[in-house]
Amino acid sequence: MPSAAARPAVGFALLALAGLALPLFTRDAYHLDVATTMAMNLSLTMGLRLQMSTGQINMAHISFMGIGAYTSALLVTRVGLSFWATLWIAAGVAAACAVLIGSLALRVSGPYYFLISFAFSEVVRLFFNNFFEDLFGGPSGLVGIPKPTPLPGLGLAVEGKLELYYLMLVLFLLAAVVFIRLEYSRFGLVASTIRQADLLAETLGVNVFRHKLATFVLGSLVAGLAGAFFVHSHQVLHSSDFGLEPMVLLVVFTVIGGTGSVWGPVVGTILLGVAVEFLRQLGHYETLVLGGVLMLTMLFAPEGLIALPGKVARRVRHRRTRKAATAVGVGLAP
Amino acid sequence: MAVSDLSMSVIKGTIHGLIGPNGAGKSTVFNLIPGVLPLTQGEIRFKGERISGLRPSEVCRRGIARTFQATTLFREYTVFQNVLVAAHRLAAPGLGSALVWSRTYRGREQAARERARTLLAALNLAAVADEVAGSLPHRDQKALVLAMALATGAELVILDEPMAGLAAQEKDATTEALRGLRREGLTILLVEHDMRAVMGVCDTITVLDHGVRIAEGTPREIQENPAVIEAYLGVEDPGA
Repeated sequence: MPSAAARPAVGFALLALAGLALPLFTRDAYHLDVATTMAMNLSLTMGLRLQMSTGQINMAHISFMGIGAYTSALLVTRVGLSFWATLWIAAGVAAACAVLIGSLALRVSGPYYFLISFAFSEVVRLFFNNFFEDLFGGPSGLVGIPKPTPLPGLGLAVEGKLELYYLMLVLFLLAAVVFIRLEYSRFGLVASTIRQADLLAETLGVNVFRHKLATFVLGSLVAGLAGAFFVHSHQVLHSSDFGLEPMVLLVVFTVIGGTGSVWGPVVGTILLGVAVEFLRQLGHYETLVLGGVLMLTMLFAPEGLIALPGKVARRVRHRRTRKAATAVGVGLAP
Repeated sequence: MAVSDLSMSVIKGTIHGLIGPNGAGKSTVFNLIPGVLPLTQGEIRFKGERISGLRPSEVCRRGIARTFQATTLFREYTVFQNVLVAAHRLAAPGLGSALVWSRTYRGREQAARERARTLLAALNLAAVADEVAGSLPHRDQKALVLAMALATGAELVILDEPMAGLAAQEKDATTEALRGLRREGLTILLVEHDMRAVMGVCDTITVLDHGVRIAEGTPREIQENPAVIEAYLGVEDPGA
């Protein structure tokens, strides 16, 4: 068992090894597609969880992915910039939008914030769908978006499923390093205090607003990065890609995995990502099964799957202690 | 208006009591000083500098910490983590420093940890440092609240009913702890319903009634003040 200080590094190393080694076991196009989507969703859910650790349930998280996607698509197709430049510009634009939106929305909390973020996500989706049709493609969306150009300097083509998988994996691992580093720092320690007792945190010197804004912007920056990747790997773009349904799925992955730890969304996204592929055969019943899993998790493991082993271990320890006490005759006299 | 026309000074290195019947406006004053509630008129100054209008976190950074009436803690965190968070002012906060993990960051974080350990030992909480704060008995929670206020490195600590719910012996221990803090140069503003404790530990006392200051002075002067007696006991109805 690694020491507490080494656990984040060991966890990250295992995650990176598993990701890098996957193509040694399968190069099937479908499997690589699933793994690429999983790496993208992991970037999104880890960012969402960072925001949730401060008590924000941001229903507009996926909108920042959309902002990144449209930014990159337009800069490549209309301006002629390289994908490698637009990847970072898209992340920057998503972050800049997050500064603007967050500065307003984060002045409220709880259900009000939830509703504002939900309203913003719908505004963004409808904006891409109904306005500037020449630019955003309207209800038909954008098609013919080119794949990433070869990597400058190395001339490495990023066109096949395997290369795209590795590119998304690298982006995810970069994001994961940041999220894990923050989780085990004072920043992570303080983030959760805002959810527990924000006024107390503020009176102890924590600038609650600034802290929430930082998590909001960072999560949105990574979402913008994922969006830029998404649009060039799928080569088509539609506003519904960033609508309510995929957003709810991200929340479900994060919450079922557990929002109390940086590893929660990792567990939730991987397990449910695989489960969703199997459930696909059930058609419309897929949503029903996912809803059921969410309800059961909330009833029996509200802290998420990540907290389950610890909970079981505590219960077993408690039972053993009680048994031992009964064996030596400790207890109340009748 | 909950509080009006209130003028009050707290002298450095003293324990200043703020008392009054229920609804007198004590809690409002306690919320106004750290910026939890905004002032509608007037100003609050600390060490000559205007602090009214600042965010509570900014007020804390200038050296004022407050505790809450109820034992408000980070209930999911351990006792040590609670105090570590409270030492935020000493640490290097922010996204950048946490990401870069610089030597300064590590040094300041180490200093915050050491301060947390020292305070836990001083307040007899070292043995429960790894316990979850929400599971502590009331007495230890009260001690933890005090440890957190001190961990901020504040020069003025505002204590809201630190004796509430404590047994007589525990109250005596808290009173002694407050005297010890005063000896170390800390300034304390205290709201407390236990008059024996207030009279025993405070250097000066301000009395509020219906949001207005009705008296200020030493504990002896306050005990003999007819306005204070009237506020607490009421005026005897001659016709009754």
